[in-house]
Amino acid sequence: MAEPYMRVEGLVKRFGPFTALGGVDLEVYPGEVHALLGDNGAGKSTLIKTLAGVHEPTEGQIYIEGKPVQFRSPRDASDAGIGTVYQDLALNQLMSVTRNFFMGREMKTAFGTLKMDEMDQIAHDEMLKIGIDFSDPTQAVGTMSGGQRQTLAIARAIYFGAKVLILDEPTSALGQKQQMEVLKTVMRVRKRGDIAIIFITHNEIHSRLIADRYTFLALGKVIGAETRETLQHDEMRRLMAGGAEMADLEQELAAI
Amino acid sequence: MADRSESDRLQQETRLQRMIRRPEMGAFVVMVVIIFSLLIASDGKAFNALGLKNNIKIIAQYGIIATGAAMLMIAGEFDLSIGSMIGFAGMSMALMLKWGLPFGLGEATPFMAFFVTLLMTLTIGWIIGNVVVRSGLSSFIVTLAFLFFLRGTTEVSFRLINQSTQVSGLPDYKEESWFANILGGEVFGWFYDLWFRIGTWVTSGTEYPARLPVETINFLAALNINRRLEQWVTGFDARFLWWLVIAGVAWFVMSRTQLGNWIYATGDNKESARANGVPVNKVKIGLFMFTAFCATMFAACQVFDTNTSDAAKGNLMELFAIAIAVVGGTLMTGGFGSILGVVFGAITVGLVANAVFFIPAIDGAWFRVFLGAILLAAVFANERIRKRITGGI
Repeated sequence: MAEPYMRVEGLVKRFGPFTALGGVDLEVYPGEVHALLGDNGAGKSTLIKTLAGVHEPTEGQIYIEGKPVQFRSPRDASDAGIGTVYQDLALNQLMSVTRNFFMGREMKTAFGTLKMDEMDQIAHDEMLKIGIDFSDPTQAVGTMSGGQRQTLAIARAIYFGAKVLILDEPTSALGQKQQMEVLKTVMRVRKRGDIAIIFITHNEIHSRLIADRYTFLALGKVIGAETRETLQHDEMRRLMAGGAEMADLEQELAAI
Repeated sequence: MADRSESDRLQQETRLQRMIRRPEMGAFVVMVVIIFSLLIASDGKAFNALGLKNNIKIIAQYGIIATGAAMLMIAGEFDLSIGSMIGFAGMSMALMLKWGLPFGLGEATPFMAFFVTLLMTLTIGWIIGNVVVRSGLSSFIVTLAFLFFLRGTTEVSFRLINQSTQVSGLPDYKEESWFANILGGEVFGWFYDLWFRIGTWVTSGTEYPARLPVETINFLAALNINRRLEQWVTGFDARFLWWLVIAGVAWFVMSRTQLGNWIYATGDNKESARANGVPVNKVKIGLFMFTAFCATMFAACQVFDTNTSDAAKGNLMELFAIAIAVVGGTLMTGGFGSILGVVFGAITVGLVANAVFFIPAIDGAWFRVFLGAILLAAVFANERIRKRITGGI
């Protein structure tokens, strides 16, 4: 088996008396989609924010390519190759595709002016690589569909060196067709083979369609770690519901 | 179905459509209308040699502060302290020129008076910026506080040091100081040299080229009215040059540099900008300092031009600056705007403000009626542009 690009061991995060994460283990491999599932409040957001360097872990260790690392800021994490695409995508609607693509990391000439043509070209090419032929990169992001914006954010993370791509519920708040577009985009990234993808979702079907590995979180703990081969359909249901048995739920509902 | 993609749904615009939809287009059309109306209503007087000079004087004044206000608004903040900052800077320079540098450092040259004042105003701009970004309070309130604070400080300082709220009768520093001259003197003399040479040639009688129609000759003659074959206007006020420099640099920064991208990003969505590594706070603080700089340039040109200053200078200018920025297509909500639009806005508002001098029949207060009307129209127009870009949200 290949070496995991990133490994997380016994990750604990406490906010005062509240334990958001109670010892999480996770391994992500290049060229694989790792689905992170769990109900609201299961600790998914805390986990990805810790991986992205927003929070420092209280206990536990993150390893990148076998070496222990510590992230003190989002910059540290992004320098280590962890690219996070949040739900709000960190895009500015009124600005052009190119200006968003290079926001904060603009390409400059020796005189300090922007290399606008070159940046237009790169933004166009990078988005084309993962599936969108967006003919006019000077168009404002506000005119793009939700799926296209998702693609732009993903392309940007990859171009700026992400080896672990964390996608925070990329298919929520999208229409059916656009959800499929995003899944296709994720699969194109997976096919490159050098990028590990952490795919956070509520949606059982989406994770079924694209994930190679599954980690289920409930109340800050891992309640199930499976691979595509080992995961049974009923088991997935049970784990998605936070470990509750369907029969129990049915009984509870019937009692009302 | 399969051969159609999401991007096909976006209608490709022609070059003309794009030009019409540019944010400064509205301001441009209004400007052209105003120029022609004024030309006709004033019988050409508004654009004769002296009329042009006087119009450009006020246009440049508005333009200088509106550029600063617009850039700050694009970054999502307001500065209501511009007018008071003009008064403060004017007071500081005039008092230093009259009573010497502070702490008994001796007499002030124009350069030193300007330099020490700029140091103070930039520091105040830096403080305002820091208060805004650190407190997270609305810049509207913070700068409103500085509007009162600075105006009060200006008046108190005048009374304490000068026993009167105005300084007049300063020597004409332009005569011997090159520095005072580049701020308060005249520029583009060649323009009027050429103007009067043409005027003389056209109207001196004997050498009318037969090719020119009589109307054209009369029109050219009107532009050179009152000349008695002598050149009686020698150049534009220096603030014209400073306006062009400030607007030019601002345009370049906004459209061609990394800083420009950061300013747009900061005003559009601060959190996204920050997440992508844009130093949002530094951008904002820097722009508060830039508006302070623009206010100081406004005041310096005034002080060295007229050799006077008083405590009421710059009153209400912050509101004119914001109004012009909005008329020029700058969004109140930040993230969008055009320096070229602000140039058109300054020309429009400046011309109308001055119109009463060329058309004595009208009441000067109509200027404010007009400004209110185009401001309202501009806000609606800008909101339409924003909705179009963000897909109607």
